[in-house]
Amino acid sequence: MPSIFWIPYLALSQSCLEEVKALRHHPLAPWTFLAVPLILYGIWVIYPTFATFFLAFTDWDGFSSLADARRVGFANFERLFNDSTFWKAVTNNLKWIAVFITIPTTLGLALALVLNTDIKFDRFLKISYYLPMVLAFVVIGLIWSWIYHPAQGLINSTLAGFLGLLKNLGFAVDPDSARRIGWLAKPDLVLWSVIGAAVWRQVGYVMILYLAGLKTVDPALIDAAKVDGAEKWNLFRFVVFPLLAPITTIVVVISIIDSLRAFDLVWVMTRGGPFHSSEVLANFMYLEAFNNYSMGYAAAIGVILFLISLGFIATYMWRIVKEEEA
Amino acid sequence: MSQAIDLPRTVTREQKIRRVQWAVIVVWIGAILWLFPLAGALVTSLRSQEDISANGFWSIPQTLSLNNYQEAWGQAGISNYLGNSFIITLPALFGMLFLSSMSAYALIRFRFRLSRFFYFMFLAGMLLPFQILMLPVFRLSNQLGVYDTYWALILFHTAFQLGFCTFVLRNFMRTIPVSLFESAVIDGAGEFTIYRRIGLPLVVPALAALATLEFTWVFNDYLWALVLVSRNELKPVTTGLSTLFGQYINNWPLIVSGSLLATVPTLIVFFALQRYFIGGLTMGATKG
Amino acid sequence: MKRLLTLAVLAFLSLALAQSGTLQYNSNASDPLPKEVDEKLVALFMETYPDVTVEHTQVDHEGFKQAIRTYFASSRPPEVLTWFAGNRMRFFANRGALLNLDDLWEENNWDEVYPKGFQASSQHNGEFVFVPTQYYWWAVYYRKDIFGDLGLSEPQTWPELLEICQTLRENDIVPFTIGTRFLWPAAGWFDYLNMRVNGPEFHIDLTEGKVAYNSEEVKNTFNHWGQALDAGCFIENPAAYNWQEGADFFIQGDAAMYLIGDFVRDLYPDDREDAELDFFRFPIIDPSLPVGEEAPTDGYFASANADDPELAKLFLSFLGSKEAQELVAREMGRIVPRNDVDPSLYPDYVQKGLNEIINQADLIAQFYDRDTTPEMAQAGMNGFVEFMANPDQIDRILDRLEEERARLFDN
Repeated sequence: MPSIFWIPYLALSQSCLEEVKALRHHPLAPWTFLAVPLILYGIWVIYPTFATFFLAFTDWDGFSSLADARRVGFANFERLFNDSTFWKAVTNNLKWIAVFITIPTTLGLALALVLNTDIKFDRFLKISYYLPMVLAFVVIGLIWSWIYHPAQGLINSTLAGFLGLLKNLGFAVDPDSARRIGWLAKPDLVLWSVIGAAVWRQVGYVMILYLAGLKTVDPALIDAAKVDGAEKWNLFRFVVFPLLAPITTIVVVISIIDSLRAFDLVWVMTRGGPFHSSEVLANFMYLEAFNNYSMGYAAAIGVILFLISLGFIATYMWRIVKEEEA
Repeated sequence: MSQAIDLPRTVTREQKIRRVQWAVIVVWIGAILWLFPLAGALVTSLRSQEDISANGFWSIPQTLSLNNYQEAWGQAGISNYLGNSFIITLPALFGMLFLSSMSAYALIRFRFRLSRFFYFMFLAGMLLPFQILMLPVFRLSNQLGVYDTYWALILFHTAFQLGFCTFVLRNFMRTIPVSLFESAVIDGAGEFTIYRRIGLPLVVPALAALATLEFTWVFNDYLWALVLVSRNELKPVTTGLSTLFGQYINNWPLIVSGSLLATVPTLIVFFALQRYFIGGLTMGATKG
Repeated sequence: MKRLLTLAVLAFLSLALAQSGTLQYNSNASDPLPKEVDEKLVALFMETYPDVTVEHTQVDHEGFKQAIRTYFASSRPPEVLTWFAGNRMRFFANRGALLNLDDLWEENNWDEVYPKGFQASSQHNGEFVFVPTQYYWWAVYYRKDIFGDLGLSEPQTWPELLEICQTLRENDIVPFTIGTRFLWPAAGWFDYLNMRVNGPEFHIDLTEGKVAYNSEEVKNTFNHWGQALDAGCFIENPAAYNWQEGADFFIQGDAAMYLIGDFVRDLYPDDREDAELDFFRFPIIDPSLPVGEEAPTDGYFASANADDPELAKLFLSFLGSKEAQELVAREMGRIVPRNDVDPSLYPDYVQKGLNEIINQADLIAQFYDRDTTPEMAQAGMNGFVEFMANPDQIDRILDRLEEERARLFDN
């Protein structure tokens, strides 16, 4: 659940606000305001984070009392590192990240650049692209499961119709061959199909972020239509893009975090299948926890997920600290 | 390279129009492509499974009807699931906005040792891959006796979203000039009054924008609904939909109708409050 | 005397009190016919016990398999649930999640009406924890009309089956449909081939973790499966479909055969059933071996944490009663275990299934995912589906399954 609201924040920190010096010093007041939020947050977010670490070193099965669970040291992690499904999930998460920080980012930026100019029906166009963002992942998963359906789905039907047209024109093609493409059934295709549905959602999101970012850039600079081909590219590369750097950072961080959080789409569309071909860490964790009652093992997966994201979170937080102190 | 930018602008008006159009055409094609899945879904939802099975998607529909919507709404239980989604989302929304405005106020208004620590704690929590909380939260909700009740979801969403809301509101409140608070202090107002009279009204735009976003997120949540609620009567629309998917496994038009129905509330909120959504991005620093 | 009377009244009252209240019942009936019968059973029960309210949640079949694990791990599982006999039931019994039903079985004298085999599969460590209420057979279902048009007859042997595959392919008909999105239909093929190639006892040993998955015997099973794949016996992209979508190809006549349980009949259009739908026993491969068949048993159990165990037992005693079983036999065409249910209640095809499949069998297996442990089943069935997609990877797949078996069983 990343946020567009990093933008006003960044805008603020850049605009060198007067430092708020007159903060009140009052021993009790902050706590009257903070008590309830902190208690809730502590119970439901902070404690569970630490509890996951604790569970990862036990063989808790979810049934027996936690007190009876054995401390197993690093056994869960040892098993994890020897588990081919785990490595499959890690690889798939990395592939997801790779796609997410390239394709939607590029497309979203390109769209934002075009839609930032005065063109007709820009509102309609913007809405077309960010409409998917409003949909629940479950809805996207169900609709795309239908679109990918081999025999009747939208894609294969369209391909078959197209091939049928070619066939009528005398080409030697078999329209039915299009109905054999198992988008969600072929092990080497399935992950890309799921990511495809995710990209469909992500592009509009990135576009909104960049559109907001472009608002802070001098319009004269962006009116690139006034200069010619190569110059336009240079203008973009050396002026506009660097100005958008803070937004790009945010987009990349969001893309990475969203990739690591991928669960709903996988669960609805494939449950990680066929035979773990589209497995991702979050799905793997859910399956181990609630399918096999290997809560300790699942917690170990959670710890790994945490450690992977920690790198990115830390980088980002460090940035904020620096800006805060600047 | 600056040379390139300083080049005289010799492109004629005609050329400009032509070039812009080229990009615009691509964007239009893209937009149609982007809407294609939803348009396909819409057409599917109006047809019957028999028709599509027998004649294929690109055949001319034999009949178009709202029967699928009717069945999804009634028999398949979407109306009930949607109701649950509101029962969960609205209190959570209210709770998280209220509590985070208080914590944000505390972080911005007072100087105390742990202020920055709490700020980063909220920030870090917001960035977590929340799945790692799954097992302890499941266990906790059982221990607290809220498992399989609306409360499990309301409490968890309220708590988890505090991170993000506090982060946003705190940064928003930073833009309020201290002089405003000070004048209130001089008037002899207590801290809670200052919070209510000055802090809160000034962040209303941010609250509105947050509400829009958070409504969408909580309404669309799937994982926590899956983990914390199992009774059909309590399921929100997301897990309800996947139940419907299992029950009407061979009836794609019905599944698609249900999916589209499930989207209506977020669509309405999004379009009605789009102003806040986009407006929140460019809101001036000291404007209230 | 007066005191005795008071006591009697009190006893009666407490009994009556025990028979009122609310009961949460979650079932996995989602296809139209089972769903209807499930609802009828609940209605009949509430009619008989007007003071009891059954809060009935029907979850789709696959969703239920997931959800039940969460139910039991939670602090408030439903009181009564549908489930499967054998190891799938013991998985929960092992964790102390199930209500002891010894007194229920005793009060109802079920040991007299339920055959011994069913009693065994309802017990865990000598305690009753399950009420078996129905079972069905697996067989090769086929389209009589298509077979008739092409002059094909029911195959008795493996080569005959492969030959039929070829003929059907030549006529542009998919020989076998299957949908492995939820894995288990692939296990039907594994079970039958393994029982036919290595014998049912070997198969049971394997599911109990006593034999290695990368043994020559198991490899031989997959050789046969590979022959069927090579002969083009199967539909493309099986993993894209669930079993119902697989059945669609069969119902529409795109595919001619389906190795599946008798529940496929629930989906088949009633008006076409007589003319088109029939089944035969999975062909014999090695005639020297005993014949094993699959007949999975379904039933009910109750949660150990039930708020009101007596109420749960009351409902279970109804579900296992003659009255309820007759309803299932009559309306759903499932075979019921009670020996006092009149066999003439069964439709004709059930008679055929009993005579040609069940009664001819030397050994009845439950099904792969019920005979072995859930963790092994998950890994095994993933392996089967992977084999269907990449047959040349079989050695690697079997080595991995063997690792999993060793981890789960050799402790």
